[in-house]
Amino acid sequence: MIGILWDNFDYAVSVLLFLIGLYCVIAKNNLIKKFMGLNIMETSVFAFIVALGVVKGGSAPIMEPGARPPFINPIPQALILTGIVVAVSTTALALSLIVRVWRQCGTIEADELRELE
Amino acid sequence: MKRALVIVLLAIVAMPLLAAMAAMPRFGSAEQPAYTHVAKRYLERGVEEAGAENVVTGVILNYRGFDTNGEVTVIFTACAAVIAVLAGSRNRQDQREAASSVPESLVVRYVVRLLAPFIALFALYVVLFGEVSPGGGFQGGTVFGALLIVMTVAVSRNQAERLLPLRIRPWLQIAGPLSFLAVGTAGVVLTGWYLGFPQGATAATRLMLMVLEFGIGVGGATVIASIFWRLGDEA
Repeated sequence: MIGILWDNFDYAVSVLLFLIGLYCVIAKNNLIKKFMGLNIMETSVFAFIVALGVVKGGSAPIMEPGARPPFINPIPQALILTGIVVAVSTTALALSLIVRVWRQCGTIEADELRELE
Repeated sequence: MKRALVIVLLAIVAMPLLAAMAAMPRFGSAEQPAYTHVAKRYLERGVEEAGAENVVTGVILNYRGFDTNGEVTVIFTACAAVIAVLAGSRNRQDQREAASSVPESLVVRYVVRLLAPFIALFALYVVLFGEVSPGGGFQGGTVFGALLIVMTVAVSRNQAERLLPLRIRPWLQIAGPLSFLAVGTAGVVLTGWYLGFPQGATAATRLMLMVLEFGIGVGGATVIASIFWRLGDEA
């Protein structure tokens, strides 16, 4: 299994990135740090899906004169472009909610917020 | 104690993920299923069918136009939601500027002003040549949005806001969905389907793709800058 994992090194790295993000979401106390963790998790998924489209020795899928196959798979790139925009949207909304929490409660630490209840 | 628990949890999550990664087709192989089905068709016939040399642009705007239509609606909705959540905040830049605690750097200010026209030109280039070279509406829009943000930070917010006059800003924010609506309606007229494109790289297809790219670019830049400004407003 280790040998195959070594071949799929890029995929394994995205797992590592996912775990780092998950650690931030669970262990960090500050709401902004939690959302940074969420963003790291998103990035790991993006990196994984874009890596799925890689073809060894491939060039960008732009059919200008003189372009020769193999080309890199265009679908993951198109899907991830959509994903990035959605990630930006959720991050913006999350940040604005955090700003609102700060104004209402004066803190964005999760444990202090729990005590306020 | 808590840290140990978290690490155990992460290990439990890691094992099935790593096992799945080991069972995936080899990285970079041309035989993997993701590459041999629909991607093949897009690569072989994408230019004649979608009318864009950049196959990624063809996939985003033509083959999967509905997907992108939803996406621009999402980003517009996010902008509206941010503005609604932070309702009641006001821009007090004018009073704050005098009492700003951050020392202004003349060098940064000068360099940003010097580079601004070139960054704007580059954003325009990325949008307009998105069909034939790397780039597109989202990328160019993000570049221009970043220019507005860097101008806000380094020069002054008033000067950055002057680039997007308040009078027409709501129309700029909704430019993405509006351009999709326009092109979708044109598709109904030309082919009978919403967001339908005429077959092949005709002038009509080019024009429709250009309108979409431009709408996405303008909308994206305005939304990003509006969200940033709104987050910077004071209660």
